[in-house]
Formats: sequence, structure tokens, C-alpha cells
Amino acid sequence: MPDRGRLAREALQHLDALYDHGRYLTRNAVEAEDLVQETYARVLGAAATFGGGNLKAWLFRIQRNAFIDQRRRSRPMAPSFDPAALDTLDGAPAPAGEDQLAQLRRMTGADIEAALFSLSDEARAIVLLDLEGFTETEVADILGCALGTVKSRLSRARAALREKLKDYAR
Amino acid sequence: MTPEDPTERELDQLLARRPRSAAPAELRRRMEALASETRPAAPRRLGRWLAPLASACAAGLLVWVVVRPPADTAGARLDLVEEAVNDHLRVVESSHPVEIESGGIHQVKPWFTGRLDFAPRVEFSGDAEFPLVGGSVGYFRDRKAAVFLFRHRLHSITLLVFPADRLPWRSHGLRSLGPLAVDEQRSRGFNVLLWREGELGYALVSDVNLADLEQLAPRLNHP
Repeated sequence: MPDRGRLAREALQHLDALYDHGRYLTRNAVEAEDLVQETYARVLGAAATFGGGNLKAWLFRIQRNAFIDQRRRSRPMAPSFDPAALDTLDGAPAPAGEDQLAQLRRMTGADIEAALFSLSDEARAIVLLDLEGFTETEVADILGCALGTVKSRLSRARAALREKLKDYAR
Repeated sequence: MTPEDPTERELDQLLARRPRSAAPAELRRRMEALASETRPAAPRRLGRWLAPLASACAAGLLVWVVVRPPADTAGARLDLVEEAVNDHLRVVESSHPVEIESGGIHQVKPWFTGRLDFAPRVEFSGDAEFPLVGGSVGYFRDRKAAVFLFRHRLHSITLLVFPADRLPWRSHGLRSLGPLAVDEQRSRGFNVLLWREGELGYALVSDVNLADLEQLAPRLNHP
């Protein structure tokens, strides 16, 4: 059985990453704090089930489940957090010209944040998990879907993000 | 993803510039406190002479813990007040302050069943002066809490009910409010009333006058 105290202390090393991810998921600093607190409570409660491996990925998976539960509690009538929603985004991105690259280079942090917030919950999550340095296998584990699904959804999410960024760059 | 396409690389570089937020100091402090309360497991085997020595040391430590002066409890009590105010702010700033809207306390209380590992004891159903808005599940430090939201005129009043164990409750200078011995505090413009009843702790927080809170507190369990 894993040492619960050691696990709790090691989990603290990922506090900033969990909070930052939580803020992008919830779009709200107060809700992000609640989400992180809920995540840590669940982590301590489930410490005995941690089978080793990538602790950070395990923490993010717990955070994702806590986020889904949080959304269900606060917005019972709202559309659910639906991974399939990404499938409505069409096809491969159009190749970018030099003008578009120049536009992207001029964008501010606020523009980037706004573009990320304009994505669906699921698209934003998959883009951010990729940026967090997780492998596609780890992202699949965190999101609870197949590896091939992650590949296609990540590609679509990034294509959608590029389109959003073009809008903000104008 | 390891993009080969220059646009993909550009996108990665751009996204690396996204604003990032470190965890607030208060959240970090709470989580560190939570981690420090989680003791590492004891070694499985001790030497023949080491085990009695360790037992003696543990007994000595226990005596010291019991008889030592409460040097740091004032700060810890302040933490309780700050936690209560922060929880109140989370509730009132939330776009969905309650998860179950009130049809009376007998509708709100059963809603907590299965969501908490304790039964919150609150009997007051609200009245014209202090209508009960509803309830939700929150956290008080390291434990889940039942959150009740009342109104008083245009003000919000948050009641948190949680297991009282292992918290630094004040034992002197308390104010008697009917059957309750209440620790009255004020922080950041909010009045905070803290008290224990049996195994449960209560925190009542609002920006209403202290006299109004003092009127409500004893009625919560003794209407």
C-alpha cells in the first residue's frame, strides 16, 4: 500500500499545475480553488488505490472527475461535459500563410487566454493536457478514452483553436 | 504532440505564452496543512530494544502535548475564522450558491444524505425574518461541510456545519446565547460565530449586525 503521507506531500508539488488547469477548466478562480480542494480530498481518500506510475497523471484524472461532478452539481440542466462534442469540428486545418504566422506572433497573453476560453470544455481540456506535457497515452488515461480518439480530438481541438486565434488576431 | 508543421510549432510557442496562475498562498497553506496531518505509516518492525524506547518517547510526547500551554492555538483559531469568511465569500460569489433550493429544512436536510459522512443537525426551517434559501456541500478546512444559506433583508448568511474533531476551538471568553457557548469574532467586515454542539461544529458568517446573528444562532437547533 502506498504511504499516504508521502503521497500527500508529493501531490503538493503539482499544486500550481492543478490550480492553473482548474482555472482554465472552470474559468473562475474561486471555483478553481474549490476544485483543487475537492481533488486533494479525493486524492487522500483514494491514496490506497494509487498503483504507482505517473502521479501527476493520476492527480489530473481525479481532478477531471471532480470537475465533471462539480459541473453536474452546479448545472444539472446544462449540457453535459461531452467528449463527442469535438467530433462536430470539421477536418484538417488549412495551411497557414506567413501573414497568419505574423498575426499569431503579435498576440498577447490575454488574447490567448480568451481564445482558450472560447473553446468547448472538452477541447480546452485536451489542448491544455497536451501543453502540460502528458503523452497521448496519458491524456487518454486521464480523459478515459481510447488513444486513437485522443489523437483525432487533439488534432481537431488545435484546429479549432487556430481558427479562434485568427479571430482574436484580427 | 510533436508538431512537424511550422504552424503547429508556432501554435505551441504561442500557447506556451498563455497566462499561468500559481495556486494562491491561502490555498497552498490549506493543502500543506492537510498533507501534514497525514502521518506516514509506522515502521513495520523495530528492534527488540528500540520498540520499548519508541513507546516511552511516544508516551512522553503525549504527556507534553496534553500539558503544554496552547502556544499556537490563537493563530490556529484565527485560521478557523478566516476559513469561515472565505467559505462565506465562495458561497455568495458563486453563480449557483445553493445546490438544493429550500422547500423548508425537511427538504434540504435529506438532500445531504449520501453526500456527507455525517448528519448535519439543523432544525430551523427559516421564517420571514431569516428565510432559508437552500443548501449545498462545501469544505471547511480538510473536511466536508453542510452549507446552509439564509437571507436577512438583502444580506446573505452562511451556516457551515461540519465534524468538530481536531479543530482548535476556543474554550474561554465565550458568549452565552441561550444553550450555546459561542466564540464571536470579526474579520474583514464580517461577523463570525463559532460553536460546538456534540460532535458537530457550526460557523455562522455574515455582514449583518452581530445582534442579528446572535438572534439567529440559538434558533438553529432550538427553534
